[in-house]
Amino acid sequence: MTTTTENTIGTQTALRHQAVKPFYFNTSAHLLRITTFKANTLAELLDCLRACPEDAIFQHTFRTLQEHHFIREGFSNDFAHWALAACNQPGLAEQLASVDVREFTSLSDLRERFIEIVASHLKRHHADASKIAEETFYFCAADIVVLPTDTVAASMQEFVKGLREASVHSIHHHFIEARLRIKLMSNDFSQWLHEDVGLTETARALNRIDIYTATLEDVRRQIIRVVERSLT
Amino acid sequence: MTVDQADKHEANREGIKLVKSQNAASQQSISTLASGTETKQPSQASQPATAYPERRKAPRTWETPPEPVPAPHFDDYRPIVGDAEINELRFLARPLKGKTLKMVNSTAVGGGVAEMLNRLVPMLAELEVTTHWDVITGGNDFFEVTKAFHNALHGTEYQLNRAAQEIFLAYNEQNRQRMQFQEDVVVIHDPQPAGLIRSKKDSPGRWVWRCHIDLSNPNPQVWGFLRPFIDQFDAAIFSSQSFARQLPIPQYLFYPCIDPLSEKNKELDDSYVQQICDEFGIDRSRPIITQVSRFDRLKDPVGVVQAYKLARKYVDCQLVLAGGGASDDPEGALVLKEVKEVVGNDPDVIILDLPPWCALQINALQRASTIVIQKSIKEGFGLTVTEALWKGKPTIAGAVGGIPNQVIHKLTGALVHSVEGCAYQIRYLLTHPEFAAQLGRNGREHVKENFLMTTNVRRWLLLLRILMGERTV
Repeated sequence: MTTTTENTIGTQTALRHQAVKPFYFNTSAHLLRITTFKANTLAELLDCLRACPEDAIFQHTFRTLQEHHFIREGFSNDFAHWALAACNQPGLAEQLASVDVREFTSLSDLRERFIEIVASHLKRHHADASKIAEETFYFCAADIVVLPTDTVAASMQEFVKGLREASVHSIHHHFIEARLRIKLMSNDFSQWLHEDVGLTETARALNRIDIYTATLEDVRRQIIRVVERSLT
Repeated sequence: MTVDQADKHEANREGIKLVKSQNAASQQSISTLASGTETKQPSQASQPATAYPERRKAPRTWETPPEPVPAPHFDDYRPIVGDAEINELRFLARPLKGKTLKMVNSTAVGGGVAEMLNRLVPMLAELEVTTHWDVITGGNDFFEVTKAFHNALHGTEYQLNRAAQEIFLAYNEQNRQRMQFQEDVVVIHDPQPAGLIRSKKDSPGRWVWRCHIDLSNPNPQVWGFLRPFIDQFDAAIFSSQSFARQLPIPQYLFYPCIDPLSEKNKELDDSYVQQICDEFGIDRSRPIITQVSRFDRLKDPVGVVQAYKLARKYVDCQLVLAGGGASDDPEGALVLKEVKEVVGNDPDVIILDLPPWCALQINALQRASTIVIQKSIKEGFGLTVTEALWKGKPTIAGAVGGIPNQVIHKLTGALVHSVEGCAYQIRYLLTHPEFAAQLGRNGREHVKENFLMTTNVRRWLLLLRILMGERTV
C-alpha cells in the first residue's frame, strides 16, 4: 500500500493540508423491500441463505450495523440475533456473530461463509434442523440510492469538518459499505488518505477501528481522533 | 373526562381514604406470604406506603377538545434529528421537484391514516413534491361493507356475499368516475379504494397500494376478492414483514411513525408533568408503571394488573392504566368493569378513562412513568410502544404484531409472553435502574432511526425516486 516516495509526498501534502483530489462526501439511502423468503427453522434458514437475493445478504449484515448503529453489543448481524433470540442456539449465534463483514469484499463470499457455518452446525446437530423458531425470520432486501451532499473536503481541516458534520448514514456509506464498491479490504476514507493525501499510516490506522464494539457515533469520533493525530 | 366522570372521580375520594386502610392490611398479608416462602423481601415493599396524594377533580378544560395545533414546518425537526438528516432529505427531494403525488384514502379525519397524511402531505409540499390528497365518498352501506372487509382481513369469520361485492364495486366505480389520476405516482391507502386501480390503464403514473392492516391471516374469501385488484399495482407497502402476502409485485416495508412535535410526543416542562400527576393523585416519589391503551381485551389490561400484583410482592410501585373507549363502547365498559374487579380496592392502581383529545395528558403520564407496559395479546404495530420508547422509557411489551420490530429484547426493551414474564421484568427493571436507563436510551435511538415522521418522509422520497426509474445499487 505504500512506498517511500508516496510517504514523503504524503507528509508534505499533509503539512500543507491539501489533497491531490478533494474528498466528496456522499451518503446512501435505503428502502426496505420484503422478499418472499422466510424461515421458521434452521433448515429453512439454510435453504433461504442459499437461494435469497444478494441484496438480502447485504441487508441482514452490512445494514444491520447501520440500523442498530447506536448499540455497542449483541447486534453484529440479523442471522446471529435470530439464532439466539428465536432459536435459542447460543453456540451457533456466537459463530454467526463472529463473521466480520469487513473481511469480505463480495456478497457471494459473505453468503458462503454463513452457509458454511449453518450447514456445519446442522451436520453436528441434526435435531436442531427442524425445531420451530419462536419467531419467523423474514428476509428483507435493501434498494439503495446514493446521494451526493454539498460537503467537499479539499484539505485535511475540511475533511475533519466534513467528518463531524456528516450523517451516520454517510459514515456507514464511506467507512463500511465502501468495500463492496471498491472491492478492497479498505474504505473510502483510507483510500483517499492513502492515495490523495499520502497519509498511509493514518489510512491503515482507520482500518483497525473496531466497528463491532462501538456505535457509529463512536466510530466517527475515533476516525476524527486518528485523523487529527496525523495533523499534529 | 366528562363532567359526570369528573364528578364520580371526585366522589371516589372518600372511598380512596377507606381503601388505604384496607390496603395496609393486604400488604401485611402479602408480606407474611413472602416470608413464609422464604422469598427475599426488599425493604421498601414492607414499608408502609407513603401518604397518597389526593386525587383532584379533572379541570373542566379537558371536557372539550383543545384547538387544533398548527402543523410544524420541516425545519422544526432540525433540532430533533439533526442538520445532516434534514439536509439529506432535501438532497433526496431535489430531483423530485415538480413531480406530483396523489394520496387516496377513505377518511379525512380520525384514524391513524388520516392523522399520518395530515402531517406527511404538508411536509412533502415543503420539499416541493406536490401532493394531492383525495378522500373517497360512500354511503353507510359502503362503509359497513368495508368495515366488515377490514375485520375479515384481520382474520375474523365473514361470509362474503354477492351484495357486499356489488356495493364495494359500485362505490369504487362512482369514485373512479369522479376522480382524476394525472399524477406521477398514485397511492391508494387500504382496501376501501382498491377498486380505483381500474383507472391505471388511463393514467400516466405508477400506482402503489399502501396497506396499513395485518394481512398475515386474512379471510380467504375477502382476500380472494381483493387480490386481483392488488396484483395490478406497481408496488405494495406494508407496516411489518409479517403483515405481507406473497404478491407478484415489489413489497416495501414502511414502519408506521410518530411525530415528535405532536401534542402526544413533544417535550414537556416538568412542572406540567407534575401538575398532571397531582391532578390524578400519582406520587412521583415512588415508581410508576403505566399502560396507555383502550380498555380492550386484546390489550390485556387485566393481565397488566395481575403482573403488577405479582411484582408488588417484591417491589413498591403504582400502576396507572390510562385508556379510553369505556364511555362509548359497550365492550370497553365491560372490560373496564373487569379491570376494576381485579384491582379491588388497591389505591395504588389509578384507572383513567380519558377522552381521545387528552394527548398532552397522555404525554405527561408517559413522561412521569418509570416503566411503560404494552402487554398486548394481539397488536397492529403498537404506536403506544413507539411513543414510550421515544420518551426514553424502559418498555415491557407483548411479543405480538409489530412490537418485536420496536422492542428488541434486552436491547431496546423487554419482550414478554405471559403475566409472570411481565411481572418479572417489572421487578428486574425497577431493581436495575442503570440497565433500565440503557434500554430507554437505546429505545429512543431506535425510534429516531426508524419510526419518526422524518424517516417516513425519507421512505416516501426514496420510493418515488425508485418508482421513477432511479437506478439502485
